Amino acid sequence: MKLELKNLSYTYSGGTTFARQAVDDVSAVIREGSITGIIGHTGSGKSTLVQMMNGLLTPSSGEVLLDGVNIFSDKKTLRDARFKVGLVFQYPEYQLFEETVAKDIGFGPKNQKLSPEEIATRTLEAADFVGLDRELLGKSPFDLSGGQKRRVAIAGVMAMRPPILILDEPASGLDPVGREEIFGGLCRYRDQTGATVVIVSHSMEDMARYAEDILVMSDSRLLLSGSRDEIFKNADLLCSVGLDVPEVTHLISELRRRGYDLPDNIYTVEGAEAALRALKAKLQREGATGC
Amino acid sequence: MPFIETKNLSFTYTDEDDPQPVLHEVSLSFEKGEFVAILGRNGSGKSTFAKLLNLVLEATDGTITIDGKSVHAELSEAEIIDLRKKVGMVFQNPDNQLVATVVEEDVAFGPENLGIEPAEIRRRVDEALEIVGMTDYARHAPHKLSGGQKQRIAIAGVIAMLPDCILFDESTAMLDPRGRAEVMETVEKLNREQGITVLLITHNMDEAVRADRVVVIDDGRVQMDGTPREVFAKVDELFALGLAVPQATELAARLELSGVPLTPVEGADAVENWFNT
Repeated sequence: MKLELKNLSYTYSGGTTFARQAVDDVSAVIREGSITGIIGHTGSGKSTLVQMMNGLLTPSSGEVLLDGVNIFSDKKTLRDARFKVGLVFQYPEYQLFEETVAKDIGFGPKNQKLSPEEIATRTLEAADFVGLDRELLGKSPFDLSGGQKRRVAIAGVMAMRPPILILDEPASGLDPVGREEIFGGLCRYRDQTGATVVIVSHSMEDMARYAEDILVMSDSRLLLSGSRDEIFKNADLLCSVGLDVPEVTHLISELRRRGYDLPDNIYTVEGAEAALRALKAKLQREGATGC
Repeated sequence: MPFIETKNLSFTYTDEDDPQPVLHEVSLSFEKGEFVAILGRNGSGKSTFAKLLNLVLEATDGTITIDGKSVHAELSEAEIIDLRKKVGMVFQNPDNQLVATVVEEDVAFGPENLGIEPAEIRRRVDEALEIVGMTDYARHAPHKLSGGQKQRIAIAGVIAMLPDCILFDESTAMLDPRGRAEVMETVEKLNREQGITVLLITHNMDEAVRADRVVVIDDGRVQMDGTPREVFAKVDELFALGLAVPQATELAARLELSGVPLTPVEGADAVENWFNT
């Protein structure tokens, strides 16, 4: 499903002296089936932007198009959009409330008025997406660890099988393994359903690893958008708006400054390892032939 | 004598019929003026450890000594307050720590509650805001500040109580890269210039490398304790514990370089050495 933002703006407390423009004329196309990251400093408008993407906030002006149809055109379209675009808030584990993990995951499909059999299927499927042991399904969600609770909450949205899944800081506060479990689950969901996944994040390392496309917000506006490589090439610009590039990119830049012939699009440790091994081999060949 | 010393410290959450032991005989000591990073997975017991040091929780077993004074169940209210003043805490979410509508009133909140006289409060608030670099924002509304600025105000509020030690419990987890950098600069400054003992609980390895010492807690037990270079040399063990290492360290380990680079510049040095051999 294609998601397109057209001249989107949002003003909080519009018409009063407290009016504050949170999103200013943002236009973008989110590529179908992509994992798209949204980065930006605190207060840059990221959260407001994603809340308009599923119709939770009504834009002051502009349109959100799902397969070409503006989701705000009428009430029914808006209601449908809420099921098509799943939104997972920050710290979603605080919103768990059912007696069992299975009931919590199945709450969304139940609201969609699916049959009990279909709800059961969707619950198991969603638990598998997020890598949650099926034995946990009968437990109380409150007996789980923080990372597990977070995955239950995300599975609850996946169980509605939204063709577009948006998450606000899904890995915030988790340890490295917890982060990998979350992102692994999001990749599985995309790979197996073909859905589009949009991730708001402050971690440049996570974005470098998992995002294919990136939107950069700064001061309510869309500063940059493009593939991961195109975005992270702008290290100085990113730093100037309160963001950064991954540590390993700083390391490679330092070597480039020292005159080593390395590519300028390295953002992961794996990528750096490969490039450095290649350069080492080249330097050895040149050394051997005496050039 | 260490500033904080724990001996065989244990803690079990008493949940009706399902007691959950989270700390097992943790013996650690922290010298005055040390900067120590504490690493561990979610649920490893590191936050429980922090709450014990701030007297929010009471140990199930073992002892804690803070500045020569032992912590026990019979302490009077005044003694508890006195100990809590010595070890301040800064938490993860800046929005949960700010209470007033004006920055300087927020910073004054702690000392006001201690019954300190107004002139002294004024002096402390000005000084605290100066230290965190937020003097220009003294009369601003906290909710309009960025995440990093709010955290610095929370830190100023703790400094105004004149603590000897500050415990940061994942205080940068919710911040953007600039906010994190601002808070880390403030943390280093407090340690170097004010001599405040810093215990920093974090999941960010690039923050841990800035400490003098790194303690790794797993499953309620101390698993490693050493300088950042000693601890991060154990790349495989840390990964096995579900933790990570700085990217420069990981890259060096994959390339089997000699040494344990911790920062991008050290990593570039190590790579350059490797190219020249």
